[in-house]
Amino acid sequence: MAEKRITVRATRFDPAKDKAPRLQSYDIPFADESMVVLDALNHIKAHVDGSLSYRWSCRMGICGSCGMMINGIPKLTCNAFLRDYWPRSITVEPLNNFPIVRDLVIDMEDFMHKLKSIKPWIIRKQEYPLGAGEHRQTMDQIDEFRQFSECINCMLCYAACPVYGLNNEFLGPAATALARRYDLDSRDQGIKERLPVLANSEGVWECSFVGECSVVCPKGVDPAKAIQQTKLDTTMRFVLPYGNREE
Amino acid sequence: MKALGGAEAADSTHPPPRVYKPEMPRGWWLRQRHYFLYIIREFTALPMALWLLWLLYEIQRASNGPKGYYPPSSPAFIVFSIIVLAFALYHTYTFLSLAGVIIHIKGVPSRLIVLSQFAAWLVASAVIAAVLIGFAR
Ligand code: SF4
Ligand code: FES
Repeated sequence: MAEKRITVRATRFDPAKDKAPRLQSYDIPFADESMVVLDALNHIKAHVDGSLSYRWSCRMGICGSCGMMINGIPKLTCNAFLRDYWPRSITVEPLNNFPIVRDLVIDMEDFMHKLKSIKPWIIRKQEYPLGAGEHRQTMDQIDEFRQFSECINCMLCYAACPVYGLNNEFLGPAATALARRYDLDSRDQGIKERLPVLANSEGVWECSFVGECSVVCPKGVDPAKAIQQTKLDTTMRFVLPYGNREE
Repeated sequence: MKALGGAEAADSTHPPPRVYKPEMPRGWWLRQRHYFLYIIREFTALPMALWLLWLLYEIQRASNGPKGYYPPSSPAFIVFSIIVLAFALYHTYTFLSLAGVIIHIKGVPSRLIVLSQFAAWLVASAVIAAVLIGFAR
């Protein structure tokens, strides 16, 4: 039987030579059913063209570094099986809505900046002395924020968001989900420090609920939910007389 | 195209890398069903606003009493109204369905929350209809 093969088109862009990115086609063996798109890229790099650049690390959907557009949809390439596409060809492009550094590698500076802006750590008005012991939490209290803490910062949600694509100032899905993760944490007291970033016009109010961020999220974080809940929250704090209470 | 780069990377030995900034294609909303439905939902606001402006105008016209007032009855207006009604229903449906995402009450499934929103909507519509019919008598 003839060897099974699959065509993979990948974006190539060399900032030193190319004006704009172009697609290059590779015909590679589809050797076993468990192959994912990342395996295909690794095959190209090892056997066809060593200059192909892309990011990856864990190969198991945890590190969040291998996100790319596969046939127009943002996906983790380590989690996208060739068998779901074959015999069709596969087009792999860098994540939408980000500047392209080289080939399939995007510049994530903007996202890093946004993550930092919502202060993703536990903020206390007054730290307990270490000897006072741990901050205890019940299972119910953990369930309040657990979903939003599953984010692996893969940026697929940003690539899926046309609002972010049209206006890069928008805080965006994952950063808001992470802010909510801390705001809902019973140990955290930093909501007032995060509100100026969240309730800003480039914050949650820029979102007009396309909802695609939650569709593409590989971890079930549902950032769209985090954004809509934050809208309700900030409004309540604004309109209710006790809404600005200290917590 | 714009040259961007991390501030940290921008020292003299490592000039910031030249990057390619892609533009969103004009037809981005035609590329995916979800985007398309979203644009339709957002677009429905426009004819609805027009219809409501028209309503304000009619109210102003009717403010001199029933004498000499004829409500608009051209077929074109009726067709436009029916289309706008469909838009309004679609808009309401998407908006009320959102309640399940936004409102979060412990122990209450989100479907129940959505159902309660639709029930409240039906009750409110019935009350308004009753009041209007009462006035018309
Ligand atoms: S919210 Fe989901 S899609 Fe967005 S960065 Fe986190 S894990 Fe990725
Ligand atoms: S390689 Fe780590 S998430 Fe895909």
